[in-house]
Amino acid sequence: MRLRSVFSIAMAKAIAFACRLLHKQGVTLAGAMVMKVDPGLFDHLSAQLKRTIVVCGTNGKTTTNNLMAMALRANGHQVVINATGSNMKNGIVSALVLNSKWNGQIQADTATLEVDEASLRHVIDHLHVTDMVLTNLFRDQLDRFGEIDITMDLLLQAVQNHPDIHLIFNSDDVLSTQFALKSKLSYTTFGISKPMHDTNNADMKEGQFCPYCHAKLEYDFYHYAQLGQFHCPNGDFNHFHIDVDLGSLDSIDPLVFTINDVTFHSPLKGFYNVYNHMAVCALLTHYGESLSKFADELPSFQGGFGRLETFHIHGCDILLNLAKNPAGFNQNIDLIANDGSTKDVLIVINDNEQDGIDVSWLWDVDFDRLNQCNVSHYLTAGKRYMDMALRLKYVDIPSTPFDDIHQAISYALHDLGSTKLYILVNYTALYPTSQYLHELERKSA
Amino acid sequence: MTSFHIVHLYPDLLNLYGDRGNIMVMEKRCRWRGIEAILHTVNGDDPLDLSTADFVLLGGGSDKEQAIVCETLMQFKDELARYIDHGGCLLAVCGGYQLLGTRYSSALGELNGLGLFEFETVAGKGGRCIGNVVIDTDLGFEVVGFENHGGLTYLHGQHPFGKIRYGYGNDGSGMDEGLHEKNCIATYIHGPLLPKNPKLADHFIATALKRKGELTPLKTLDDTMEEEAAKIMIKRCATEKKENPYISR
Repeated sequence: MRLRSVFSIAMAKAIAFACRLLHKQGVTLAGAMVMKVDPGLFDHLSAQLKRTIVVCGTNGKTTTNNLMAMALRANGHQVVINATGSNMKNGIVSALVLNSKWNGQIQADTATLEVDEASLRHVIDHLHVTDMVLTNLFRDQLDRFGEIDITMDLLLQAVQNHPDIHLIFNSDDVLSTQFALKSKLSYTTFGISKPMHDTNNADMKEGQFCPYCHAKLEYDFYHYAQLGQFHCPNGDFNHFHIDVDLGSLDSIDPLVFTINDVTFHSPLKGFYNVYNHMAVCALLTHYGESLSKFADELPSFQGGFGRLETFHIHGCDILLNLAKNPAGFNQNIDLIANDGSTKDVLIVINDNEQDGIDVSWLWDVDFDRLNQCNVSHYLTAGKRYMDMALRLKYVDIPSTPFDDIHQAISYALHDLGSTKLYILVNYTALYPTSQYLHELERKSA
Repeated sequence: MTSFHIVHLYPDLLNLYGDRGNIMVMEKRCRWRGIEAILHTVNGDDPLDLSTADFVLLGGGSDKEQAIVCETLMQFKDELARYIDHGGCLLAVCGGYQLLGTRYSSALGELNGLGLFEFETVAGKGGRCIGNVVIDTDLGFEVVGFENHGGLTYLHGQHPFGKIRYGYGNDGSGMDEGLHEKNCIATYIHGPLLPKNPKLADHFIATALKRKGELTPLKTLDDTMEEEAAKIMIKRCATEKKENPYISR
């Protein structure tokens, strides 16, 4: 083992430790240091793994990845994961380094790593990827990716020299299906063959036209967004056979469902989360591993930060969730609609680089549905607090805009006396909001 | 009750940058004034008849979908030309703007546009023009929004919609933005365009009503929130100016 590697591992662990003490995100910083000091360490560590799964897709990466780690551990694997959603190169390097011993031996046989769609091509040659899970493809960060077709092309470029990767994908998604066809990878599909849940059918749908003959695709039904049972009227492009199907859906909040006669009791909620569990089941099925062992562990699952995170502060139940694109936002509204109790809603929209600096997507979200959700008050915050308030105005929803998130939360708790508060935030607002709520919760305890 | 006919062209195909927000704004601002807004959505195989239209929106789409629209619209080229010629209000955004010219280039190569105006859009060599925009329009008010275009548009003597105060504009040079001929406004500005620019929405409503002989002045609406949202962005752009120099090509 080279001295330089020992030094990098030590440094990475020290940086991560120091950042934890300071309540700062240190993962990417540690990874950046390693790539600078000892770039060869990345390959050295990844080569020791028997199985490396990458989780890609617009929505559900972090949740799917964390569920995947739980399911694999339940099946007896030693797993390394980038659990916090640091999904670009440095975050991935860091996950491996922080899970290795001083001598450069990785303490795992399996890695499950969520990877940003644009970053996959920068890491794939350093990882010995055995499986790729594609959750879905929706419009997101158009100012960064251009258009959804470009995102798909980036993923295709990444896998073009890796024909042995096995693909796990959502066959209810036309775009993921197009990716599967174009990539020519072997695959296992997951999907839902029957309509299971009443949802909004007027929402934004991607890829509505046949990629071959350009005819408008026909749908027997939609689950949400463009996910559903589709076919080309000319027979040029059809829904694939579903390998792992949903048996029944018994409850949305909390989630109770069956797959292959195994009943899952998940602490998560929301219809969209069913697909995240199914992706994991599809991978387990592909490897002939046990779904029951995963189901047994599932009730103790804790989601990533800001994924349906709950707080209890001054007698108010707060639910914090990430909502960063139309498909994700519409699913959040679905979640609020499923909750019959009286509540307040705070929406936080930033337009920093990582959020996408273009917020025009707010107009693709079906906020009018909030009118039937038993919401008493609406608040907005974040750098685009006034744009958000304006968006609500055009669906006849009055709101109170705040340029400061702390003030907005304080107003809800103290002035409104909220007993239930949903806080929906986009990407860069997530971490500070979560930290702030944790701090308030500690103080109020 | 006065009625106002809004025609949304191919929303299935052209819906990339929240374009339906422009429609929502037109509908609401009519209804808030007691004008009956009637929305007509035109899809793939539908015939196009603009004889009763008061406002037409042609939005932006991905390269692939823009090409499908261009092919479809080609058969209604005369109908569109007649509408514009007779002073009909048309708002074309991003891809919809490029389609109005003679030629445009995209990831799919060089394509013929509708040729309603003699201008062309060529592929930019230095990446895309992406960012917030503020312009001073020829209508006497400022307009704020967001641009994201790979193509560079060169007008041939047509009037631009405005002068860039902040942003890239038609050809990326930071000079002119959009096109304004008769009552047709074509622009790269989305965001979507109309929510934060209520004066522009009202300009279309007033122009269209006048065109059909309804001369009552528009009822004033409370636009405090619209103006505040625009002001915040204009202020931000003014301070960010140094960090975002115009690209030179």
